[in-house]
Amino acid sequence: MSMLRASRLCGGYGPRQVVGPVDLDIRAGTCVGVLGPNGAGKSTLLRLLAGILPPRDGEVLLLGRSLLGWRRREVARLVGFVPQSLSVAFPLTVQEMVMQGRAPHLGAWQPAGPADEAAVEAALVEVGLADRRNVGVHTMSGGERQLVLLARALAGQPRLLLMDEPATGLDIRHQLDLVDTVRRLVRTGVGAVVVLHDWNLAARLADGVLILQEGRVAARGASGEIMVPEVLGEVFGVVVDRLPAPGGPVLVPRAVPHARSQQPTVEG
Amino acid sequence: MKRSADAVLVLALLTAAAASLLTGGAALSPRQVAGALIGTASPEVEAVVVSLRLPRLALALLVGGALALAGTALQSLLANPLADPFLLGISGGGAAAATLAVVALPAAALGAVPLAAVAGATAATTLVWWMARGPLGTSSTRLILAGVAVNAAASAVILLVLALASGQRLPGALAVTMGSLANASPAAAWWLLPYALLPALVLLHHGRDLGLLGTGEESAAGLGVDVPVVRRRVFLAAAALCGGAVAFAGVIGFVGLVTPHLCRLVWGPEPRRLLVRAGIAGAALTALGDVVARRLVPGAELPVGVVTAVLGVPFFVVLLRRSA
Repeated sequence: MSMLRASRLCGGYGPRQVVGPVDLDIRAGTCVGVLGPNGAGKSTLLRLLAGILPPRDGEVLLLGRSLLGWRRREVARLVGFVPQSLSVAFPLTVQEMVMQGRAPHLGAWQPAGPADEAAVEAALVEVGLADRRNVGVHTMSGGERQLVLLARALAGQPRLLLMDEPATGLDIRHQLDLVDTVRRLVRTGVGAVVVLHDWNLAARLADGVLILQEGRVAARGASGEIMVPEVLGEVFGVVVDRLPAPGGPVLVPRAVPHARSQQPTVEG
Repeated sequence: MKRSADAVLVLALLTAAAASLLTGGAALSPRQVAGALIGTASPEVEAVVVSLRLPRLALALLVGGALALAGTALQSLLANPLADPFLLGISGGGAAAATLAVVALPAAALGAVPLAAVAGATAATTLVWWMARGPLGTSSTRLILAGVAVNAAASAVILLVLALASGQRLPGALAVTMGSLANASPAAAWWLLPYALLPALVLLHHGRDLGLLGTGEESAAGLGVDVPVVRRRVFLAAAALCGGAVAFAGVIGFVGLVTPHLCRLVWGPEPRRLLVRAGIAGAALTALGDVVARRLVPGAELPVGVVTAVLGVPFFVVLLRRSA
C-alpha cells in the first residue's frame, strides 16, 4: 500500500530551485534511504514530502490524497517529522519536549491524558531516555538532542517517519539502536524515509535507496543494487572498496587521485 | 510548589491592587477605601476611589497584562527570548500612529485613536519580522537591529508630529509618548477592555502552537502547526494588545520582556501554563510600578514607564550578555 507518492516533485527557496523533478513512492512497511552529496537537496526533498515546504511543481499524495488537501494537523498525526536540528530558545525538559509529539492529537484547549502519557513513556523507553526525562534539553549534547527529536516523533505514533539525518552526532551504539528502532517500526507497517550520510548505516537500515545529486535523482533502486562501489563511486566521485566483514560487507571510500571535484551523474 | 506559586501570584496581584487604591493625592485609610468600594463611604471619598483610583488601577492591570501577554507570545513565536513589544518597536509604531491620529483627526473621530495605534503596531510588527527573518528563523542580532530601526523611524514620526501639532492637541499627543497612567478614566478602562480580552483569547487558543513554535518554525510545522496562519494571528493579537496599551497609557517599556522571564523561572517555558500567569504578573507589576512612580518623589508623579525602565534595562543587559 502506497503511503506517500511524489510525482514530478519540484521545490526550492526564493528564485532558486533546489529539488526536482523527483518521483518517489513510499510503501507501508518499507524504509527508503536518501543519500547524496552536500547541497544535493535531501533536506528540501524531506520538507516537500512532509508538506512543510509547498511544491513549485508536481504533487505529493498522502494515502492517495493530495497533501495540499490535508490540514497540517491531520498530516502531523500520520507523519512524524524529525528535523535535522532543534532550536532550544527556552529550557524545556526532555519529557516536555517529547510530549510535544502528542500535539497533533490534542485540541487547542485539551490537556494531555493517560493515552498521551503512555505514548510519551513508550517513546522515552524506546530511545533510552526514560531516566533522563527531567533533564533540560538545552543542557544536552547534539547527539542526545537527536534522540529527543526521535522520541518526540515516536510519541506521535506516526504511520510514516520522515527523518533528516537522525544519526548526526550519535555515537556508534546509538546509531545501531536507531537502526533497530526504525527496522522494528518498519516491520510493524510504518513507512520511513531517512536522510543519511553514512553509507553503511544506510545499507543496514534501508530497503530502497535514492541518491540525489544537484536536486535530481542520480540513482535509485533496492539497497543491494545501489549500495555498491560502482554506483557510489561514480555519484560521489570517489573510489569505493567493498570489504568483507562478519556483519555484512563494509563500504570504504577513498579519494580519486587528481580528480577531487569530478562528480559524474548516473541515472539508475 | 507550583500551586503555592499560583497563590503567591494572586497575593501579589491583590497587594498591588490594594497599594494602588491606597495611593493618591488624598490620604485615605484602608477602611475609607474599602467603604468606598462597597458604597458606605462619604460621597467625596467615593468619588476619589471610584472615579479616580479604581479606573487607574483597572488601566494599570489591563495595560500590564496586555504587554506581558504580548511579550510572552512574541518570545515563543519568534523562538527568541529577547523579543519585547517595546524593544522591537511595536509600541513605538503604535505610538507614532496614535500621535499622528491625535493631531490629525477631527475632534469627532478621536475614538479612532486606538485603532490607529493598533494599525501602527501591526505595521511595525510586520516590518520587524520582515527585516529580522532569515532562512533559519530570526536571529537575536537581526531582531534587535530591526527593533532599533523601527524605533528610530517611529521616533522620527513622533518628533515631526509634535513639532507640527497645534497647541490644543499637543498635550494629548505628548501623553501618548510618555508611559503614564495619569490620564486614566472609567471610559479609558472600558475602551481598553476589548483590546485586551479578545487578543488574549486568541493567544490562549494558540498556547500549544506557541510552545511548538518555541522550538523553531520547521519543527512546529512538522508537528501540525499551520505556521503562516498562527504567525499572522499572533502578530495581530500582539499588535492589538500593544496598540491598545499605547493608546490609553502611552509607551511603557520592558513589562513585556521582564515578566515572561520571571514567570518562566517558576512555571517553566510552556506557553499554555505561562500565558495567563504572565498576564496576571504583568498586571501586578505595572500596578506596583505605578504605585512606586507616585510615591518615589514626594509631591511629584513620575511616569510609570520610568520605573519599568529602571527595572527592565539591567534585566535586558543581563539577557543580552547571556545570549552572547
